[in-house]
Amino acid sequence: MNKIQFLLIILLTCYMISACSANPNASQLYKQETPLEAEIILPDLLEPTKAVTIKVNLTQNGDAVENPQYVHLKMWKQDGTVTYGMTEASNDGNGQFSLNMDFESEGLYYIQVHASNNDSIITPTKLLIVGELSESDKQALKSNAPIIGGESGAHH
Amino acid sequence: MRNKNSKQSRGVFYKTIWRWHFYAGLIIAPFLVILAITGGIYLFQPQIDQYLYQEYYEVKPIGERISADQQIATVKELYPEARVMSYRPGEDESRSSEIGINLDGKSFTIFIDPYTGNELGQLDNNTRIMDKIEKIHGELMMGTIGDRIVELVTCWAIVLIMTGLYLWLPRKSQGMAGVLYPRLKMGQKIFRRDLHAVPAFWLTAGILFLIMTGLPWSGFWGTNFQNIVTNTGIGYPPSIWTGSAPASITKTKEIAEVPWAAENLDVPTSTILDYKVVSIDHLIEIAESKSIDPSYTIYIPQTKEGVYTFSAFPAKVQNEVTMHIDQYSGAVLADYRYDHYRFMGKIIAWGITLHKGTQFGIVNQIIGLLVCIGIVLTAISGFYLWLKRKPSKKLGAPIAPSASKMKGFLWMLIFIGVVFPLVGISLIIVWVVDWLIIQRIPAMKQFFNA
Repeated sequence: MNKIQFLLIILLTCYMISACSANPNASQLYKQETPLEAEIILPDLLEPTKAVTIKVNLTQNGDAVENPQYVHLKMWKQDGTVTYGMTEASNDGNGQFSLNMDFESEGLYYIQVHASNNDSIITPTKLLIVGELSESDKQALKSNAPIIGGESGAHH
Repeated sequence: MRNKNSKQSRGVFYKTIWRWHFYAGLIIAPFLVILAITGGIYLFQPQIDQYLYQEYYEVKPIGERISADQQIATVKELYPEARVMSYRPGEDESRSSEIGINLDGKSFTIFIDPYTGNELGQLDNNTRIMDKIEKIHGELMMGTIGDRIVELVTCWAIVLIMTGLYLWLPRKSQGMAGVLYPRLKMGQKIFRRDLHAVPAFWLTAGILFLIMTGLPWSGFWGTNFQNIVTNTGIGYPPSIWTGSAPASITKTKEIAEVPWAAENLDVPTSTILDYKVVSIDHLIEIAESKSIDPSYTIYIPQTKEGVYTFSAFPAKVQNEVTMHIDQYSGAVLADYRYDHYRFMGKIIAWGITLHKGTQFGIVNQIIGLLVCIGIVLTAISGFYLWLKRKPSKKLGAPIAPSASKMKGFLWMLIFIGVVFPLVGISLIIVWVVDWLIIQRIPAMKQFFNA
């Protein structure tokens, strides 16, 4: 075997070893999902008994979702004393949805969006503070406990 | 005259092959025996685990199940310092839940009765008997070095099979005696040879199958091979064997103000807090709605960008699932089933379940076990063959010219050395040792018949 052949073999081996790291874009070559994305937008200041508009921006695959199967909102207080049932949000067009609410009392609240479009179902939940927090609210925040009264909705 | 020459060169070639078969066998046979024994035991891992951990596995389904989140809360109370890594609900109603935790850098499995909420027991994952068997089988309990040794042995076993097959090939018109069945009445020497060669031939397909299906798991060749097939779109989708899972897409705040992963932070000052992570109970609902095999485990994200992952690798390849879920919205970000593997991925996946003996139940396990027993017997009979023939002060290797003079054989070695770089490296080492040491020290030269 001459030197050139030997060198070629060494080079080919090095190439094979080095050309094999994971490609971060490889997922595009396989089945892909188009997950729904919801952004829950709330006013900066939340006070009891003051009406607020909760907005939800819905996108899928980078595009605004004009006509989803449903966009419902659910809200409840951490201590379980107040629950607002599943309410349909109004479609303001261009992927924007809204709901007017007022909070009866101070405390820690959860607001949850239930939305579905093209086989993608999402239930993001946001926490919000209205006025002052009670001790039990503070404990709940610190313990990072799972939400009670949460995602199981009438859509599944 | 020409006939005589070709006969001579055939004889020389035969001796070269024999010499390589001899050395490869002598060096790797002990490792092959270890792999076969541990593999043979590991085939029966489901039954062994069921027997060993019956008291942890089985529960009486009486009354309502306690929610998964409540079970995890119980574990957090019992092990306040631990990080919860995974949750496995159990494949049927009489199976306990398993919660994987990380405590002081060690991983444990906590078994919980989902009807009473009681802890049934805990296991240190690294001290499980089957875990030890798997560690010997995969890396000789030596970490990365061991993994590379196992891989090298596996690749060299291919050389062993190829050279062995060449030596076995019928040369005289002797019928099938000594080829397909051993010759019993032609003296001990012939019988010993047949005792090694004939069963080894019958096992060839099985051994080759175990090698080729085991290699995709190996640390070096396997990782590179999996990367190539995944990157070219013909293998597994990413994140199953190689490549990373997607990140959660919900736009969370830059700075986490909500206590994350059980940290104790002060109460935030902002009125609008961040998104809450989806509960495990909701994930179980998603799993049911997506018809995921009930043997799945949920892997819990450990970072703010991470995802929940459903992972199920049950007995049958067709039921495999890897699904990634946005930890804040519950959106399915990737849903990979067996049907979504490409053809090479499907072949590897089938190879894995057949290799592990799970695909066809007990029949699969028995066939695997027979091949493992066969490997051990072939190694022992080969070793015995050598002991009987070995001169007292020599290794007894057949005298043959260097492989570098055998063009065809040399190219075969180079080909294997390129496809399996570890073999290539080991060949270079052998060549250097031979050139620098064996050929220069007369005693060595004599001992090795070099």
